[in-house]
Amino acid sequence: MTYDRRCLLSAAYTDTKLWEEREKDHQNLSLMAALMDRIYDRNFPVSSLTISRFVDNISSREEVDQAEYYLYKFRHSPNCWYLRDWTVHSWVRQCLRYGARDKALHTLKNKVQYGMFPDDFTFNLLIDSFIKNEDFKGACSVVEEVMLQESFNLLTTQILSMYALSSYLATKPELSVSEQRTLGAALLICGLKQDNSTGLSAQLLGCALLGKVEMAAGIHAVFRGMPLMWTPGYLGRALAIMERVAATPGDSKLSKDAVDYLEGLLQDLSSALDSKSSSGEDELGGEEEGKKEEDEDDQAEREKLPLYASRFKELSGQLQSGGKVDPSPLQVLVSSLVQQGLASAEGPDMEQYQRKVGEWEAERQQLIRREKEMRERAEEERQARQAAKAAAQ
Amino acid sequence: MVKKKRIRLIAEMARKIRAYRELKNRPRESEKYALDYDTMTRPHTRKTLPVLAWQDVRRESRLFSLLSGLRMFGVGHLFTRKSWLTEHPEAPSYWQVTKVKVDYTAEKMTKSPLCVLLFSTGKQESEPKEMDKVMYHDWRLVPKHEEEQFKLYNPVPEPPIRYVSYPPLLRAMLLAQRQKDELGSAAEEPTLPLKRDVLLSKEYFRSQEKKRERQEGTAV
Repeated sequence: MTYDRRCLLSAAYTDTKLWEEREKDHQNLSLMAALMDRIYDRNFPVSSLTISRFVDNISSREEVDQAEYYLYKFRHSPNCWYLRDWTVHSWVRQCLRYGARDKALHTLKNKVQYGMFPDDFTFNLLIDSFIKNEDFKGACSVVEEVMLQESFNLLTTQILSMYALSSYLATKPELSVSEQRTLGAALLICGLKQDNSTGLSAQLLGCALLGKVEMAAGIHAVFRGMPLMWTPGYLGRALAIMERVAATPGDSKLSKDAVDYLEGLLQDLSSALDSKSSSGEDELGGEEEGKKEEDEDDQAEREKLPLYASRFKELSGQLQSGGKVDPSPLQVLVSSLVQQGLASAEGPDMEQYQRKVGEWEAERQQLIRREKEMRERAEEERQARQAAKAAAQ
Repeated sequence: MVKKKRIRLIAEMARKIRAYRELKNRPRESEKYALDYDTMTRPHTRKTLPVLAWQDVRRESRLFSLLSGLRMFGVGHLFTRKSWLTEHPEAPSYWQVTKVKVDYTAEKMTKSPLCVLLFSTGKQESEPKEMDKVMYHDWRLVPKHEEEQFKLYNPVPEPPIRYVSYPPLLRAMLLAQRQKDELGSAAEEPTLPLKRDVLLSKEYFRSQEKKRERQEGTAV
C-alpha cells in the first residue's frame, strides 16, 4: 500500500522553501481589489504587477475564488498578453496550498478564458499533486492540457504524464469517444519523445485509440482541436510502429497489453463492419443521408480494415518470434522508468527552476521600481500643475 | 438665378458628430464575424452562410480559436489552410506566426489580424505580412512533431521560359522604331516572354504609380 501512496517527485522538488524565500510584498487584498475595480471602471489597463501582487497575497480559500475572478478580468483587458509566468506559477502554488486543486484544474481547462499557460515545472507540480491523491482522472486532465500545449519537453514531465496515463488506464475505465481521443493523443505525443520500450508502447496504444476514434467518427473528429496530423490512417501508423520495432535490432520491446489491445480492437472493428454491411442492405434508403456526410477518406479507411487485420497478424507473429513483446503491462514499464530516470532528471530541472525564480524576482523588482518612479513623476507633475495654477490665479 | 445656398453650420456639426459616433460604435471583429452554429446565420447582419460552406464551418475552426489555446497566442507555430492542402497537395503552404494583436473585449477572445511570414507553395515571402481570411473556418495547426516532415519539399525545377515573337503589326512598329533610333538590325529582335514576370497586384500598381510620380513630379 505504501508503494502506491508514495509520491513521484522527491520532497526537494516539491519543496516550497525556494518559493517562500522570495521577497514578500505584503499588501492588503481588499485594498487591491478596490483599486482594481476602480481601474476597470475607468477603463484603464491593470498592470501585471497588480495582479501578481494580488495572487501572491492570497491567504485563504475564499480569496482564491476572488483571485480567479480578477484573473478572468485581467485576461479580458488590454494587458492580457502580459500575464507573467510567475503569476501563473504562484497561482498554482497557492491553489495547491489551500486545497483548491479543482479550482486550479478548472482555470487550466478554461485556459482561453483565464490565460493560464503554466510552464513545465508548474505542470510537474500539478500532476504530482494529483498523483499523490490518487486522482488519476484529474492527473490525466492535466496531462491533456500539457499535450494541447505540446510542452512535453522535460524528461520529468514525460515520466510523470506516462505514469498518470498508465495508472488511469490500469483502472480500466469506461472511456467515451472524446476521452479516448484525448488519451490516445496524449499517449502518442508523449511516447514520441521517449525512444525506449515505454515510449514505443505508448505510441502504439495511442495510435490504436486514435484509430478507433477515426473508424467510429471520421478523421475530422480526431484532429479537431488537437495538435495531430490530419492525414487519415492512424491504425496504419500503429502497424508501422510494430514493423519498426520488429525490424530494429535494438533492445526496444512493445508491451504485451498494448499489442493485445490493438488485436482486440481490430477484431471488434472487423466484426462490427461485417455486421453493419450485412444489415446495411435493408436500411439503404434511410442510410443515404448519413452516408453522404461520410468522407471518401473515412470510407477508404474502413475498406482497409481487413488489410490491417491481416498485416497485424503477421507483424505480431514477427514480434513474438523476435522476442520483442514484453509481457509486463505498461504500468510496470513506466514504474521501472520512474525508478531509473526520475531522480536523475530532477536535478537539472531544479537548477533551471532556481535560475528562473531568480530571473522572475529580478523582473518583479524592476517592475516595482518602475512603478515607483512613474508614481513619483506623476506626483511631481501634479505639484507643478498646481503651482502653475496657483501662480496664474 | 439660383438663390445663394445658406451655410447650415448646425447640420455640418450634426454630420460630423454622426460620423464620429459611427466610427466609435463600429462593430468589433468579434461581433461582425460571430456565427450562430445551429442556424448558420450571422447575428450581426442576419444573413445565412452558403450551404456548401456549412460542412466546413462545422468541422474546421477559425484561426483564433486555435491560437487562443496556445501559449503566447501561438507565436512561432505553423498554420495551414485546408483549402491550400487540397489546392497544392505536394508543396507545403503555411503561415508562421510572428505577431498577434488581440481583441480582448469579446468573450471568446477573437483577434485582430496578425503579422506573419508566409510560405506559399514552397517559396518564402520576403517579409512579414498581415494574414488575410483569418476568420474563415479553414485553419489547421501543424503539430510540432510533424513540422519537419511537413516542411520537406523538393521543388521541381521550373522549365525555362519560352519566348515568342511579337504580333506582326506590333513587331513592325517596334522594328521601325528601332531603325529610327539607329540601333540597326544587328541587335536582337525583342521577344515576348510567355510567363508573366510581374504579379499584377495592388502593391504592384501602387509602386508603379509612385515610380511615375517620382519621374514626372507632382502637378504644380
